[in-house]
Amino acid sequence: MTAKISVKNLNVSYGDYVVMSGISFDVQQGEVFLVIGRSGCGKSSLLKYLMGLRSVDSGTIFYDGKDITSEVAHDFYGKKIGVLYQSGALWSSMTLAENVALPLEMYTPLDKDEINEIATLKLSLVGLKGFENFYPSQISGGMKKRAGLARAIALDPEILFFDEPSAGLDPLSAKRLDDLIIELRESFGMTIVVVTHELASIFAIGTRAIYLDIDTKTATALGSPRELLETSRDKNVMAFLTRGTKEIE
Amino acid sequence: MAAVAELKFTSGNVAQVTISGSWSLREKSPHLKRCEDGIRSKASIGGIAIRADNLEAWDSSLINFLVKILKICESKKLKVDVGGMPNGIQKLLNLAMIQTDGELESREEKTKTPLMFLQTCLSIAFLRWKNLVQFFGETCIGFATFFRGKAHVRAREFLVIVQEVSVKALPIVALISFLVGLIIAFISVLQLAQFGAAIYVADLVGIAMMREMGCIMTGVIMSGRTGAAFAATIGTMVVNDEVDALKTTGISNTDFLVLPRIFALTLTMPFLCMFSSFIGILGGMCASIFKTDLTIIQYCTQTVNAIYINDFFVGIVKGGFFGLLIATIGCLKGLECGHSAEDVGLATTSAVVTSITAIITADAMFAMLFSSLGV
Repeated sequence: MTAKISVKNLNVSYGDYVVMSGISFDVQQGEVFLVIGRSGCGKSSLLKYLMGLRSVDSGTIFYDGKDITSEVAHDFYGKKIGVLYQSGALWSSMTLAENVALPLEMYTPLDKDEINEIATLKLSLVGLKGFENFYPSQISGGMKKRAGLARAIALDPEILFFDEPSAGLDPLSAKRLDDLIIELRESFGMTIVVVTHELASIFAIGTRAIYLDIDTKTATALGSPRELLETSRDKNVMAFLTRGTKEIE
Repeated sequence: MAAVAELKFTSGNVAQVTISGSWSLREKSPHLKRCEDGIRSKASIGGIAIRADNLEAWDSSLINFLVKILKICESKKLKVDVGGMPNGIQKLLNLAMIQTDGELESREEKTKTPLMFLQTCLSIAFLRWKNLVQFFGETCIGFATFFRGKAHVRAREFLVIVQEVSVKALPIVALISFLVGLIIAFISVLQLAQFGAAIYVADLVGIAMMREMGCIMTGVIMSGRTGAAFAATIGTMVVNDEVDALKTTGISNTDFLVLPRIFALTLTMPFLCMFSSFIGILGGMCASIFKTDLTIIQYCTQTVNAIYINDFFVGIVKGGFFGLLIATIGCLKGLECGHSAEDVGLATTSAVVTSITAIITADAMFAMLFSSLGV
């Protein structure tokens, strides 16, 4: 079976500074794939390369077997992928409903009423019914993230990317977002890629995870979070997954 | 009791540093030199024991003092025993003396040779040119798409920007233009009155405002006001990932951010320039009436006779072009912005400076062009 996303030998550096080296992995259809590692190891950067927002020095990225490294297809953004950014990245000059409606206006033949209905529906799915006419500056950080998620799923993309979804959220809001991720995967069958370093989220939502090592800038472990915790012989992986409480000699 | 650090040499080969008194950042710590000289002078000592004796109070000043002692010992390869200090101090000393891991090493700037420095400068210059060419390419494609009716420019966004760059700019444009007209008239009336040609103040102010000062002053004001606002708004959107979000939602940055701003400013600048010219003429008239015997009717008649339709169109053409320059530079600088608050400030400053330079340069070129065309 062709992997949904396939990354082969990705290398990036800025001058002498190596950002990542020899990263390879596959993401299968319908899984919640995690990119984990310490702060500064290049998780968010990897996400940007996966989304085609930055160009890589060498290596290849395939989506459904098609190489997108040098050029992405016209319908790649919006229809193929949706993204929830760390801050929500809502467009501040628009209401929440307008934020969700914009991609629909651009990419669907629907009339204005239908677009508004769908925008309301998407906001309801993330628990923001009634907040359609609020501006991003009027809502909390957790709500911004949920509104960002509603916008990310506006066009029912096949793949969803999350950049540190629980960062800056209280435990309950973070749990709520984790539950939403699981629901989206189960209900829509979406493939989900999440960048995170929140241990609670890692074990709650992850099907498989790749660990990026901050020292070597390589991927040093790949497997389900539980598997990594129980079988990994890499001391950095173990220290990360146990918050440094368990060390391998 | 004041802070005291005393170095004593005991009978064995271990020296002892006794810490006592009250250590505070608000008071001077004891001189390190005495301890340092003592440690360095004795070649025979193999280690240092540091102990607290009647230590009343302490803060970071003590830790800082002890770290310096530890570093001296480290450089002399002496063993140090801090077991005689309170637990809290021992823990803080441990933290302070931990070596940074490889993370720092990999991020440290390596010493650059002149060749490496040149290489870095060239690669930055190349990247800037690449961004510039890419931006102009995308903007041209955006224009082409727009005129084919396929661009997704949102009417509401466009109207909001038009309101922002036109109506809201009128008061400041009016004030500055009035004062500029007033100043030109005041200076010229003094000279012209000497040989009885004060009436020609109206000609001078009228032509200067219509052909040059109206456009330039409006351009400078709009660079500082609108160009800076464009760069700051778009730069902040870059910092907040909103620009990336546009791209990953499949919306063109050019359609959504650049085209509405360029259209809005290019279309409104000619009107602002004309407005500025008229207000400048009004300012000149006020000064002339105040300083000479000219009447309003005389001044207006003289102005109308002095200004030709060419002067009017020169102002309009220049105004539109300046608007295009300011908006393009503002958007470019905003999109080039880095990912920190400081970068937004730099982008804004750069937008203003570049816009003003570009306007003055363009004005000089227009002057040569119109002169050679006889306009």
